[in-house]
Amino acid sequence: MCKTLKTLPFVLVLSACLITSAAAKEEVITINDLVNDTLGYNGQTVTVEGEAIGEALERGEYSWVNISDGTNAIGIWMTKADEDTIKYYGDFKNLGDTVKVTGVFSRDCSEHGGDVDIHCSSLTIVKSGHSVISAVSQKKLIVAAVLAFFAALLAFFYRRESKKRKSSD
Amino acid sequence: MGSLKTHSPGVYIVSFYTGYIIAGMAFLMLLPLFISLLMGEWNPALDFVISMSISLITGLSLMSFGRSRKTDSSQVDWRYGFIIAALSWIMLMFLCSVPYLLSGHTKSLLDGCFDVMSGFTTTGLVLTQDLDHLSTGLNIWRHMLTFIGGQGMVVLALSFLVKNTNGAYKIYCGEGKDIKLVPNVKGTARIIWKISLIYLLVGTLALWICGMFIGLSPLSAFYHGLNMFESAWSTGGFAPNTQNIMYYHSFAYENITIIFFILGSMNFGLHYAIWQGKKAEMFKNIEMQSFFITSFAACALAAVKLNQLGIYNDAVSIFRRVVYNVLSAHTTTGFGSIYARQFANEWGDFGILIMVIAMLIGGSACSTAGGFKGLRVGIVFKGLVSDIKKVLSPERSVRVAKYHHIKDYVLDDPTVKAAGLIIICYMALFAVTTLLGTFYGYSLADSAFEAASVSGNVGLSIGVTSASMPALMKIQYILAMYLGRLEFISVFALFGFVIGGIKRLCVRH
Repeated sequence: MCKTLKTLPFVLVLSACLITSAAAKEEVITINDLVNDTLGYNGQTVTVEGEAIGEALERGEYSWVNISDGTNAIGIWMTKADEDTIKYYGDFKNLGDTVKVTGVFSRDCSEHGGDVDIHCSSLTIVKSGHSVISAVSQKKLIVAAVLAFFAALLAFFYRRESKKRKSSD
Repeated sequence: MGSLKTHSPGVYIVSFYTGYIIAGMAFLMLLPLFISLLMGEWNPALDFVISMSISLITGLSLMSFGRSRKTDSSQVDWRYGFIIAALSWIMLMFLCSVPYLLSGHTKSLLDGCFDVMSGFTTTGLVLTQDLDHLSTGLNIWRHMLTFIGGQGMVVLALSFLVKNTNGAYKIYCGEGKDIKLVPNVKGTARIIWKISLIYLLVGTLALWICGMFIGLSPLSAFYHGLNMFESAWSTGGFAPNTQNIMYYHSFAYENITIIFFILGSMNFGLHYAIWQGKKAEMFKNIEMQSFFITSFAACALAAVKLNQLGIYNDAVSIFRRVVYNVLSAHTTTGFGSIYARQFANEWGDFGILIMVIAMLIGGSACSTAGGFKGLRVGIVFKGLVSDIKKVLSPERSVRVAKYHHIKDYVLDDPTVKAAGLIIICYMALFAVTTLLGTFYGYSLADSAFEAASVSGNVGLSIGVTSASMPALMKIQYILAMYLGRLEFISVFALFGFVIGGIKRLCVRH
């Protein structure tokens, strides 16, 4: 009984440490903070959150997915199964899925020729992406039509003047 | 109107040819317009219709004014040639930034102008926001600007537009290109474009195939291949995505870009000589000797130091992160395979200094590259060696120093002086730009790195260039890119012309 009482504080402290460390791992860090302190974060497990951009670059059983959180962008090395969960990638016509990635950060990845990357250990889709349909701007349409008309008119008069000059020469 | 008639013929000549170049560039907007329509990007398509119309109206108005008084193209003397080139660049900077501004991806007209000048001068620094969501049309336009800028807009206009080439050589030289590959300047301009277009086919194909192997879809691989080739060959440094070359995570892709940016940094005269079978030129040419020596030294020194610091420990990392960036800096390309702040936080003062030197030296004269050029470094170095030899030889002995650049030249004092003067101008520009950076509170290393990057038209950043930097620094960077690309003389001629005009007006009134 006495032994149990003695070990109890240790167990409690250890549990507290583990919970804190797990919470710390879950703390989302911005990509800019990561790349601005590559030496400090090198080899650590980090969590980043950002939009999947461009497209997945499949390399056999694994894939590269680049994510951007608005501060910067970074490549995530993940399994093909993880990559398959991402449906939308950000570009002009799409807003990509927002993903939360936890993994080991490397500033000089020995597996990938010194890449600055994150090897994904867990991935969750925080927010689904969607296609972005932007309506044609009426204002732009009118301005474009008016300016194109004036440009064509000027080109017509310039050409007519050129022909006149040529015939008078 | 009566007062206009009293203008010197120069005003009409400058107006006509500047208008001609602007009208020519307006027609080039048809390509991104067509691509926008093809991709169903309606708003970007309207942006290009608006921009093209504004450019065409401006160009035709200038041409109409220019021909309101009869002038002969033989009247285009050196002064006007330089002024036309310099003025065209400024006006096109504003006109070509309209699609950027209308897209909503730049925070101000100044940021748009910055990006256009960065493209024209093949620098590659970017203030455009959210590149990853940029329309295909605008991305094609960005890369087209850098491709055209690399070859030269005046060269383009001369190749396909100007019929009468009397005086054209002077405008052509005004753009910082002074090599005559064939006796006719129009023929020379066409050869420059022929060389570039053949490489465009080969390079795009190579990157397209590689792109598909690294996981890009066929259409996307073509799009990336075309853009990345244009950027590599023009030693530009733009890329379709924020991460630049790091987006691809591929050693093979990086290696292909290295080949093309080194080829792009070589003199068009050298390309032409090699195409004519003069392969020995590769090793005899003073520019190539200078490039091999300085690039090897820079790569070796940076690699040894960064390995010693424990930043990169294996050969592949050293090649991909150190050699790649040093070569990108030396050829003034600006593709970065590490993040901007890694230069500041990991490379140390020695690494940064190596990069600054490499960026300032730059590539070859009459190429797409910037910097004060290997030819001038070689000439000044040979001039120095020759002077030392003269001092050490008996007074009666006569020594004639020579250098080889396509053909043999006698190394005389005016040649050394001219090369030295341009180097001094570059160093002064670098010093002023660095000073301004430090004035705004950036560290000396950061300011010097960014100043070398803009003065040498490189495009690598240590993190200073951003939309939030002071407006005066943006203006100074635009000026530095512009001066660095046109190699000072044209811009000085334009300043002189404007100041002269103002003086005449003051005297008259």
